[in-house]
Amino acid sequence: METKLKIVLFQCQWCLYSEPDQQWVDHDLPPSIHLVKLPCTGRINPLFILNAIQGGADGIMISGCLPEKCHYKEGNLSALRQHEEFINLLDYIGYERDRIRFVWLDLQDRGRIQRELANFETSITELGKANNLATRVNAPSGGQYV
Amino acid sequence: MMHILNKKKLNQILTGWSTKYDIYAPQKVEDYSQFLPLGTADELALNEPHNTRFPPKSFFLPQSETLLKYDHRLKQLKEVVITPKPRIIFGIRPCDAYAVKLLDTVFDTAEYTDPYWKAKRNATLLIGMGCNDPCQTCFCTTVGHGPFNHDGLDALLTECQDNYFIETFTEKGNKLFSDLPAATKDQQRQVQEMQKKAAKSMQPAFDTTNLKQNLNQSFDSKYWAAISESCLGCGICTFLCPTCFCFDIVDEVQRNERIRNWDTCMFRIYSLEASGHNPRPTRKERTRQRIMHKYSYWIDHAGEIGCTGCGRCIRNCPVGLDIRAMLRAVNTFESETVNA
Amino acid sequence: MSETIVKLKTEIERLLNEDVIDVVIAFKQEDSPLRPQPAFFRNVAELEVLEYNSLCQNNLANYLTRFPQDTRIGIVVRGCESRSVNALIVEKQHQRENLYLIGIPCHGIVDIKKIFKKTGEEVTDYSENQDEVTVIVNGKEITFSRKELLHDSCLRCIHPNPVDADILLGDPLPEGDPNIARQEVESIEAMSRDERYAWFRHEAERCIRCYACREACPMCYCTECFVDHTAPRWTESDVSQAGMQAWHIIRAFHQTGRCTSCGACERACPMDIKLTYLTEKLNKDMRELYEFEAGLDSETQPPFASFNLDDKKRFIV
Repeated sequence: METKLKIVLFQCQWCLYSEPDQQWVDHDLPPSIHLVKLPCTGRINPLFILNAIQGGADGIMISGCLPEKCHYKEGNLSALRQHEEFINLLDYIGYERDRIRFVWLDLQDRGRIQRELANFETSITELGKANNLATRVNAPSGGQYV
Repeated sequence: MMHILNKKKLNQILTGWSTKYDIYAPQKVEDYSQFLPLGTADELALNEPHNTRFPPKSFFLPQSETLLKYDHRLKQLKEVVITPKPRIIFGIRPCDAYAVKLLDTVFDTAEYTDPYWKAKRNATLLIGMGCNDPCQTCFCTTVGHGPFNHDGLDALLTECQDNYFIETFTEKGNKLFSDLPAATKDQQRQVQEMQKKAAKSMQPAFDTTNLKQNLNQSFDSKYWAAISESCLGCGICTFLCPTCFCFDIVDEVQRNERIRNWDTCMFRIYSLEASGHNPRPTRKERTRQRIMHKYSYWIDHAGEIGCTGCGRCIRNCPVGLDIRAMLRAVNTFESETVNA
Repeated sequence: MSETIVKLKTEIERLLNEDVIDVVIAFKQEDSPLRPQPAFFRNVAELEVLEYNSLCQNNLANYLTRFPQDTRIGIVVRGCESRSVNALIVEKQHQRENLYLIGIPCHGIVDIKKIFKKTGEEVTDYSENQDEVTVIVNGKEITFSRKELLHDSCLRCIHPNPVDADILLGDPLPEGDPNIARQEVESIEAMSRDERYAWFRHEAERCIRCYACREACPMCYCTECFVDHTAPRWTESDVSQAGMQAWHIIRAFHQTGRCTSCGACERACPMDIKLTYLTEKLNKDMRELYEFEAGLDSETQPPFASFNLDDKKRFIV
């Protein structure tokens, strides 16, 4: 059984304005964090989050721009309601809502992404491995009827 | 020779077999019965009024079967075990057992043998339970079978009062029951009368004499549009059917496995070609295909109707379509329009 | 109830004779006991086999998306069906001007699985009145109260009356209680996290991916469903835990703000999976977070189709 934590970071490609921050995310991420870069948080389909969870993600962090500062104007707003409800649904079936965190980055706030990730890693370590929905790694491809 | 077994001793026999075989028998799940490993539920559900909801073809053609596994980095195939431990499917109904035999004409022929199917077939014994009280959705006698038919079985149990009476048909079946006492001539007669009575109690559901011809002649008629209008196009009738065998092979890249899954001609994408053309574009062509295949094309490939009358499609259709009524209608439709 | 059939027949005859519509979607008599079927009537002679009773368990709005939008369609609608029709109109799948809604206030659908559980499946005959249901099994008559046989979705029904109808055949019934509708979801929410997962896993693992739930649902009309995508492939089509859980979660999620709680999915399921436990949670959240119920009128956009700058106040930490 896997014991290393796996955290997936869905990052909007515009939200890290400062070069050092973006370089850090591109090259120096801690080993437990896996990066998926997207044009906008509005691109995130609940299927992406579910796929990550089924693959064994213990935590999911989504970083995007502040609501009125979206590069595509309203991209992140249109997704807001869906993401909120999806997290409610996942919590209802047994994947704690605290494992999914949205971080809206102010472009001026340098260094925030490192702080948030460190913070998140600590709280996920406390929550422990998420075994409930990681069914692509802990359950075979056949069914229960022989 | 017919053997006799007191019902109370059944568990003993099954436990005795379980040292050498994995045993699967019908047990209750929620509100229906299902073939599960012995001991999953507290008691067996051997005398349910009808067969299990999910068909036993899954023992030979699992709904999802891994054909091979691979490792990207090493560029290697990994071995997949295809031969199960020797097992006994206990309490299978004659309709379902004959259906497995029908599927042999697809997966185990002179030209080609499916190794996955064959390995499972070789490792399995089918011990049947006959139907004393065929239900109103059963129609095995209409398609040439019966509630106590033994074709496809290694042995058949008939329940009569406090005993099971066992007839064996193959060497393997014989060996399992050889220690049991023989039934008396009177008992044998009583059991055979009961079996005949059960078969007689089933009314013919539709006329199969000219069915193939009528179906073929009706291919272009308006009958199909009318019949299929309420059909949802789900996979219930095909997945629960013990003789349906169509499958789809897919590479699940995130699992690194190649998997064979059941597929159904009722789905739009079943016949959708890569170019975008679909030879069965609407509901009408797809519903027609299912019925023509079962009652006409099967005769072309195997010499007999591809349906064993188990009744699952009738009991589980969400919109109440009854294949018997549909076939009765096709027998009369053309003659009505011709005479009109 | 047979009084309703008489009124229904008269109205459909009128619609056909006066050429108001091209086809009427209603129900017809059973071919096998206790299973009336959806039917499409195009001329008066076909009305011989018209049927309407509490065993008519399908959501007829499901068939609307099969017809081109310029077809003039008459359709029998009960409470939930009329809301499905509105939800389809909101999504521009049909135009109200081409629909003639024959409204019937609904006393609830009788779940044949509940009958069979009590009497076995060899039922040969069925009759009902407002309060009771009588079946004949092996020549014997057995009577039940309607309430003990109603389908679970109908026990939770808030809107039994059609919200829009061109003609109403029957007296309006009292509205249901939203508190009762919440109870099942609240009892699951009260379980511990691992118990909730065990419950979800237990329901999902029986699935055989027949997609009857999708086909029976009026709001599932996508020409290509997400499970049929092969590139990229987000959900597996095998019967693994992963594949089935993904199917259930995402199908329910795609119904958020569109589901009218009719329960047709649950009635269609051959493996007796309690499908509504997921959709009811989403419907409850829509009622509480956005005060929205699908299909109450034919204009209001569902919550996911829009956003409000105030939303962020709840979500941004």
